Amino acid sequence: MQAQVDTFRITGERSILDPRVGMLAILTVSAVMIGGSITGIDFWLRLVCCVLPLLGLVALRRWRFAVVYAALYAFALMMEGAVFQLTSGAFNMVVMILGGLISRFFAPVVMGYCVMQSTTVAEFIAAMERMHVPSAVTIPLSVMFRFFPTIAEENGAITEAMRMRQVSGMRRGLVKRMEYELVPVMMSTVRISDELSQAALTKGLGGDTRRTHICEVGFRARDYVLLVLLSAVLVLFVVT
Amino acid sequence: MNESNKLTIKDLINIGVFTALYFVVFFVVSFVGYVPILMVLLPFICPIVAGIPYMLFLTRVRKFGMVLIMALILGLLELVMGRPWPVVLIAIAAGLCAELILKAGQYKSVKSCVLSSGVFSLWMIGMALPLFFGYRDSYLAGLVSGYGQAYVDTLASLTPDWAFFALIALCFVGGIIGGLVGSAVLKKHFKKAGMA
Repeated sequence: MQAQVDTFRITGERSILDPRVGMLAILTVSAVMIGGSITGIDFWLRLVCCVLPLLGLVALRRWRFAVVYAALYAFALMMEGAVFQLTSGAFNMVVMILGGLISRFFAPVVMGYCVMQSTTVAEFIAAMERMHVPSAVTIPLSVMFRFFPTIAEENGAITEAMRMRQVSGMRRGLVKRMEYELVPVMMSTVRISDELSQAALTKGLGGDTRRTHICEVGFRARDYVLLVLLSAVLVLFVVT
Repeated sequence: MNESNKLTIKDLINIGVFTALYFVVFFVVSFVGYVPILMVLLPFICPIVAGIPYMLFLTRVRKFGMVLIMALILGLLELVMGRPWPVVLIAIAAGLCAELILKAGQYKSVKSCVLSSGVFSLWMIGMALPLFFGYRDSYLAGLVSGYGQAYVDTLASLTPDWAFFALIALCFVGGIIGGLVGSAVLKKHFKKAGMA
């Protein structure tokens, strides 16, 4: 599986949404999807939250991803809504795990993917600066989000190397297996973090002067529309 | 090491990188929670594994504030994952205590590192919070529709109110074990390579 798991967009023009609205969107979608029940008003809220990431994917022109996403959600909602009531016992458990995993975690992840894909690191930091978040928090945060796909990539490479030398699988027990997997990942983490700090230093981060940027950050009409929608969903979710 | 106590950009990047690593490990392990009995034990299992990257992180920590920022970010991540808001406060408190223990050991003593790993893992208690106190009934009711009555009944029977305090203890013990495992792994793999 050669999934493209970039987080922040690398270059390009201004993002579709203001990063602050994007973050509110992630927060709302994950609160509703992970914490919400699937009956009553929550059902409609969840429906709204399922559709938002889909819109994001369409806006980013990830057509295939959008189709897969829609299909998976139709499947998961059907599992939760219909199949679930008709089954019992072990099969019920399987349905619960499958449907629950997809419907609860997939939407927040995709929402996060959309926001990250449409936001550059510079825009993210600029928006955080507007909110007066200190750099002691913004820098680790942006490094962290940038680093998730790196870990996935490193891990993939390690798994592949293990398979090549035929040490994969559970043959030597879970603990050994975890050691073989985790230690190399930690090794490369240490190395990459050193390289990253050197790269950041050459780019002039860490100086005492205020850094300037050329990206425009600010709310536009669509940001306000989404903001109102998200706040409504969040309020309804918390109140009911 | 730099003498000044201000966090440099290198420290901030280290925080980011290791928080990512910690969270990934934590997140992968927490998928075990889909089995009802193990879900209750999650605050015990997670810190054991997560203690390993945490101990590696500590080899990079020499200044006040790094563990605290890590705890804050982890708390925020959990908030985004839909846990009730006190997780952030719990995380900050746990991070601060872990930080103080480290400081008492001058950031060098292995003993205080292990102890701080135990205290730091208490941030995970926030995960179990919805199962107890005021959140309990509504949380369980919400779970019924999503996870099924059988799952919820098992969960409810396993978690009377006193279990919360047992969990705190378990979490702490798990963190200590994680710290010990972590320092063993460091000794075995990283000292040799000159990385710790």
